[in-house]
Amino acid sequence: MKQLLKTAVLASALMPLASAAFAEKITVAVGHQSMCTDTYTAGIVIKELGLLEKYLPTEGKYADAEYDVVWADYSSGGPITNQMLANKLNIGVMGDYPLIVNGAKFQETDSLRSIYVAGTGYNLKGSGNAIVVPVDSDIYSIDQLKGKDVSTPVGSAAWGMLLKAMQDNNIPTAEYALKNQSPAVGAANIAAGKIDAHSDFCPWSEIMEFRGTGRKIYDGSETGVPYLHGVVVRQDFAEEYPEVVNAFLKAVIEAGDWIREDPMRAVTEMEGWTGVEKEVLYLYFSKGGHLTLEPTIKDTWVDALKFNHGVLVKEKAIPPLDFDAWITEDYIKTAYADMGLDYEADKASIVDPATANAGLPMEIWHARDGVSSYPSMPEFLTAVAAMQGTGAKLNATYVYDIETGLKLFGKTAFWVKAGEDYATFLRKGEAEAYAAANGGSVITFDEAIADFVVEG
Amino acid sequence: MGGLGVIGAEIRQNWPRMILNGVLVAALFQLFMLVALIVRFQALPNYVTGYDWFGNVIHIIRSTPSLSDMGPIIWEEWLLEVGHMNYDYGAGISEWSLNVIPSRLFVLFVLGAMMALCLGLMRGDTCSRTASGSMRAATGLGALLIAMTNATMSWVVCCATPTWVVGLAMLGLGVSSSLALERVGPVFSIFGFALLVAMIFTLAWRRARQTAEPKGALSNA
Repeated sequence: MKQLLKTAVLASALMPLASAAFAEKITVAVGHQSMCTDTYTAGIVIKELGLLEKYLPTEGKYADAEYDVVWADYSSGGPITNQMLANKLNIGVMGDYPLIVNGAKFQETDSLRSIYVAGTGYNLKGSGNAIVVPVDSDIYSIDQLKGKDVSTPVGSAAWGMLLKAMQDNNIPTAEYALKNQSPAVGAANIAAGKIDAHSDFCPWSEIMEFRGTGRKIYDGSETGVPYLHGVVVRQDFAEEYPEVVNAFLKAVIEAGDWIREDPMRAVTEMEGWTGVEKEVLYLYFSKGGHLTLEPTIKDTWVDALKFNHGVLVKEKAIPPLDFDAWITEDYIKTAYADMGLDYEADKASIVDPATANAGLPMEIWHARDGVSSYPSMPEFLTAVAAMQGTGAKLNATYVYDIETGLKLFGKTAFWVKAGEDYATFLRKGEAEAYAAANGGSVITFDEAIADFVVEG
Repeated sequence: MGGLGVIGAEIRQNWPRMILNGVLVAALFQLFMLVALIVRFQALPNYVTGYDWFGNVIHIIRSTPSLSDMGPIIWEEWLLEVGHMNYDYGAGISEWSLNVIPSRLFVLFVLGAMMALCLGLMRGDTCSRTASGSMRAATGLGALLIAMTNATMSWVVCCATPTWVVGLAMLGLGVSSSLALERVGPVFSIFGFALLVAMIFTLAWRRARQTAEPKGALSNA
């Protein structure tokens, strides 16, 4: 009896140890980029709000699972791919060009594969990339870059955009000097006027504009090639833990919802997490912003990725990529279904800023009172004039480009006054053409505001 | 004694010097790259990150099914990263870094050892000044090619990872040209090693021949 009791006590003491021995530890390591806005819904937002933990499975084969969620922040997509190859990251978030390199590099191996499981967000026409010149530069169009020094982070989406933009404008490589510069160095050189132009990805161009050091002369939307970001996963991880991948994608969807719910709250939080100014982030994440947060994989995106792969093959001779084997909608479809959402409806919907942003109100971000909207230009300019008249601090003002529908900072837009009407443009050339066609003139933002200053 | 015998004898006699030279070349090249980065970018490094190289290699071996894939992945594993973080924008971006990679340290160690062997074999060589100069030049060229293609500097020109062409780009070579050259790096490296191996065998053969041929005529045979 004594022996039996001893055995029972020993067995009960060992039970927790035995269960611990069977509890599987699952490491979910995610590589993200806190300095690339378009990755935020699959990166910094999920991390900071703990959304992945919310959706990680805890039933069935995961009942005893212990999760170790690791987040690694990178300046670019390339190192994420290397870390995924070494299996130190299971999931990576990056822009279109690095995504392609990721898929191609994995397919180059004998035994490893990555799969493209979802997008994070997009701009249909390619906004997000842009070419910027020093704010005092006399360069106003891409044609004027002939014979100039142009820098870009080579290998990035902005580099791909620059190459296509130059090709589209019949500017051969020999007619400009291409320099290889990182975003921070490019931005610093633009501020110091050390380079004629710099091409960069989101949100660097807008940071330069917001800080008053740079001015856009070319927006990625002019290439007409969608700019998108997405999520890649090691295939072996996805096959072993499909429910974890689904959990991640549900977190991506919820992160998008959280931003749309209250963009001002979201960008304010994100400023704290990333150090990127909230006013710049608002340009991306607010209603009418550059970024449409939606993770479906559209046929148009696949075509864009194939086009981008062609550019890379031409320039860098990267390995071939079997898109059919690489791209799978299964995981994101399951995530949609689990959340009771209509995948096909979202997939069929494509937001074109030119039409979607038509008629959206202008906005003023008052430092104390937050963002207020104004349906017409006179109301907007009257409000700006009144606020400035009281000495109020305005963080930013937002208007829309007549041509592309892109959201712009009021201070960087080209303004046209035609009679009593005001219109805003991204590019000077189009502003001048509009002014000529409508008997108006190109004016500054300050001049437009001055028209509404009430004396006394 | 044949050429191989001469090489064997030289290694047996001078192995401590070869090892020392190998270690010195591997270490000094890291220092050279760091100084080059500091001078080029006019900034001192402001961060150092150590990596669990052994742990990572074991992890890669466990999680990579194909043996042929393991090598290239382990080849790129880092031991140490020393660089400069730019905090002007956002949470900071690593502008440039020197990546100490054990696989490249090994290559540089072998390079240093081979150079010591070459120099050792040259020491007793009685060839003309012109021939000696040519051999030294060939050895230097081989060493340069190997060292150049094993540079492990990183310059965050987005999506760039440590690659030998960063060195060329830093020296001002055009972006397109640098990228075009990136994939021929291994060819350059192999060519460099081939040059060194050829020099070692040439020098060994010459020494073997000198040993076999008696100097001058025997007067009292």
